[in-house]
Amino acid sequence: MLDAIVIGSGICGASVARFLSMYRLKIAVFEKDSDICTGTSRSNSATVHSGHDALPGSLKAQFNVLGNAMFDQLSYELSVPFKRNGTIVFAMNDTEIEALHELKNNADINGVPGAAVLDPSQLLYLEPGFGQRVRGALYAPSGGMVCPYTLVIHTCYSAAINGVKFHLNTTVLSIEKVAVGWTVTTDQGVFLCKYIFNCSGTHSDIFNNMVSKKQFHIIPRKGEHLILDKRLSPYVNATICQIPSNLPGGGHTKGMGLMPSLAGTLILGCPAYEADGPDDTSTGTGLEEIFNYFRNFWDCFPISQHFPVFPENQIIGSFCGVRAHSDTDDFVVGESEDAPGFFNAAGIESPGLTAGPAIGKYLVTLAAERYGFVKSSDFQPCYLKEKPFRDMTDKERHVAFQKDPDYGKLVCRCEQVTVAEIKASIHAPIGARDINAVKMRVRAGMGRCQGGFCSPEVLRILAEELNIDPLTVTQHGPHSEVLLGRIGIN
Amino acid sequence: MEYTNLPPPNARASDEISQTNQYETNPRAADLVIIGGGCAGMAAAISARKNGIDDILILEREHSLGGVLRQCIHNGFGIHRFRSDLTGTEYALRFSEEVDCLNILYYTNTSVLSITKNHTITAVSPHYGVIVIHAKAIILAMGCRERSRGALSIPGTRPAGIFSAGTAQRYMNLEGYKVGRKIVILGSGDIGLIMAREFVMEGCEVKAVVEIMPYSSGLIRNIQQCLTDFDIPIHYRTTVTRIEGTDRITGVWLSQIDTANRPIAGTERLIACDTLVLSVGLIPENELGIAAGIELSSDTGGAVVDDSYQTDVPGIFACGNVLHVHDLVDYVSTESEAAGISAAKYIQNGFESYPVIHVIAGLGVGGIIPQNIRLTKMSDPVTLQFRTKQRFKDARIQISSNVQPLLVSDRKIITPGEMCEITLDRAKINSDIYIDIFENKRTDENNAPSNYKFSAEVIVS
Repeated sequence: MLDAIVIGSGICGASVARFLSMYRLKIAVFEKDSDICTGTSRSNSATVHSGHDALPGSLKAQFNVLGNAMFDQLSYELSVPFKRNGTIVFAMNDTEIEALHELKNNADINGVPGAAVLDPSQLLYLEPGFGQRVRGALYAPSGGMVCPYTLVIHTCYSAAINGVKFHLNTTVLSIEKVAVGWTVTTDQGVFLCKYIFNCSGTHSDIFNNMVSKKQFHIIPRKGEHLILDKRLSPYVNATICQIPSNLPGGGHTKGMGLMPSLAGTLILGCPAYEADGPDDTSTGTGLEEIFNYFRNFWDCFPISQHFPVFPENQIIGSFCGVRAHSDTDDFVVGESEDAPGFFNAAGIESPGLTAGPAIGKYLVTLAAERYGFVKSSDFQPCYLKEKPFRDMTDKERHVAFQKDPDYGKLVCRCEQVTVAEIKASIHAPIGARDINAVKMRVRAGMGRCQGGFCSPEVLRILAEELNIDPLTVTQHGPHSEVLLGRIGIN
Repeated sequence: MEYTNLPPPNARASDEISQTNQYETNPRAADLVIIGGGCAGMAAAISARKNGIDDILILEREHSLGGVLRQCIHNGFGIHRFRSDLTGTEYALRFSEEVDCLNILYYTNTSVLSITKNHTITAVSPHYGVIVIHAKAIILAMGCRERSRGALSIPGTRPAGIFSAGTAQRYMNLEGYKVGRKIVILGSGDIGLIMAREFVMEGCEVKAVVEIMPYSSGLIRNIQQCLTDFDIPIHYRTTVTRIEGTDRITGVWLSQIDTANRPIAGTERLIACDTLVLSVGLIPENELGIAAGIELSSDTGGAVVDDSYQTDVPGIFACGNVLHVHDLVDYVSTESEAAGISAAKYIQNGFESYPVIHVIAGLGVGGIIPQNIRLTKMSDPVTLQFRTKQRFKDARIQISSNVQPLLVSDRKIITPGEMCEITLDRAKINSDIYIDIFENKRTDENNAPSNYKFSAEVIVS
């Protein structure tokens, strides 16, 4: 019998699992996909929100600000790239300026440190190059950027090192209350446990509604993004967006904006459209909206000083994440009132990535107090990873090569990923088993050629390291084999 | 990995090891470093050697020389140069054998990490680790990469089974695997056309080739030999508007497009397929040059060069597909040999400064190489290479300078898929040159080429 089952391995599931692993418990994480972190926590704008725009008093506001404050420590403990680059929300007319002051008021009530409304001249000092049409902005210095999938993957690694078992390709089918706790039926077998942590993102309503009369419903909303080449990164510092009031679907997004990422690429996004189901990450209408917006408003952004026209030829990719919007309009966090032992981290949409670690900590602390969990004496808080080759100095690169000649062979030229790092990703605590999993761990295939050159190499290394037939190597789990046969054999 | 047991890359390499292990204290010096050991790099190296340069080093990231030619097992190579019809691999072999005969040093499995304006190259290899090399001259010969699905922002899902044509070609010809059974090809670039034929020959079904333009971006001969001869349908002014499938691709939506490249409502149709191959353009792989601050042309995507293939950084030259995307490898070899000669002269004589004039694209002309011509006293002819922006029938190419035509050349048909080449007498060049292309029948008062009526504006722009 297990003590705790965590459903989902996004930021909430990973954080819950890691904090649970501080206690003497038998813990399992069930993930329906072939890898950890394949949902909303992977596909988002990589922003650590300051908390200026959440409705005061809401769980979103509370956990956003708490979560934001945890990131400095998390980034050291888990070797996660993180930087407080500040968030700038700009306004273009009087109505928007008024809305800025409301935001500033919000920020103060929510306890966001240092938020200020700036006029164009002050803005010039902060980040030169804002367009003539920009009339003022809210500046939130605690806003940051993080590599979202590294955050989640390393949180999972930390949990795994501390004894949590991860079950991939495992879909939870039903949950039933029994005398000792819960039976959880999956497509990989039936499990018995005392506590369930429902961290299943866009599917979280299904599991809650199986056990509780206090129901809610998830309205999945797509957020589409464009990715621009990292060649543009020297020209962007802060995360900059327009205040969302006059945008289509404005109420559902944090505004259309330009987000630098720690990998150097720029992310443009993101509008909100209802999805055709909880896993609908197809792109379409939203991309058109991004194109239209930036064709019309590019001059507002400081980067337009260097690239006067929206540089569409620098687009290297696009992606879509699905927001798990709850019809309660807030996060659903806590132990279910009518189903003791069932904990929700549900309806987690933006600012969920920022809030996730705080939600995990809160839920586990709550459960530990209520059910008397015993602290483990050998918890290892840190997961330390070698610096990527890409970030090493030449001297460090040579030292790494002297230890392991695989550091001398580049596989992904765009992101400078070596054979050594790809092998390490396969042999990690939760090792990569397919091409996308390698990509999320080391960035091979994430650069400007989008895997055109390196994917055959990555496929070959996967087959070699896992000792499997190259024909069975997949892109992202079962039924997504890359190759369909051998030449000369029909 | 296999490379750890390999002998040193070639003959002279063993005595390098002791030096390169102390990469910081004792960087290696070389007269000429060539980045890339494909057709351009090899031809440049051979030509520099024949012009008196002994100390040459080619840096190649793959495990052997040859570049993309290694995976081009189809014929059509060398018809101009060798008067014989070779496969890409045979064509590459002629050059790599000569590189070996001439005892030119090359490091394989070696990726260049950076170059600087003062000719310092940092590279990494599984034999030597990080290597720093000071070169008297550098030739950039890194080739190009393919435009990806991401760059096109094609809507839809992210299933397995989407390949760029070159990646599919590598899987098939170098690794021996089939990438699909029912295939749709988007774009009619040459690699896509070649792959269409190869898919059919391997027993796969090519459901359609779709091209957004009203003509192919590939060679005319490839349309005939790869599509028509194999009964593969090509649909012009059509594109993929959506990708379907979650695990593996299950189909694509095709749509005809209007003159503004927007899908025409009512023309959508779903084609079931398990593979989508993209052949939608090549991009010179210039990241090293950009990082070094070399000036690039937005038309060619390659460096801005003069008629000696020298970039705006003295002693750094560029040739082959990293300079501009070629149609035939034969011309890559010719161009690279010229770059090799120029680099040899630079090493022997140092930088020679000349006044330059500019070559300016007028009506209908895309990227031109070279962009600048040095006003030397030499008598060698100057060759201009360029592509057109659209297809022309009964076309006239007109080269003019000082509002005077220098040369006209009439062609029955010109397409963007084929490179145009014009050779000029250097003695006649003394001021900026304009190239215009127009259809002969439309040459009336209102449609005169730019250099007569609009040359002033062209200069301003």
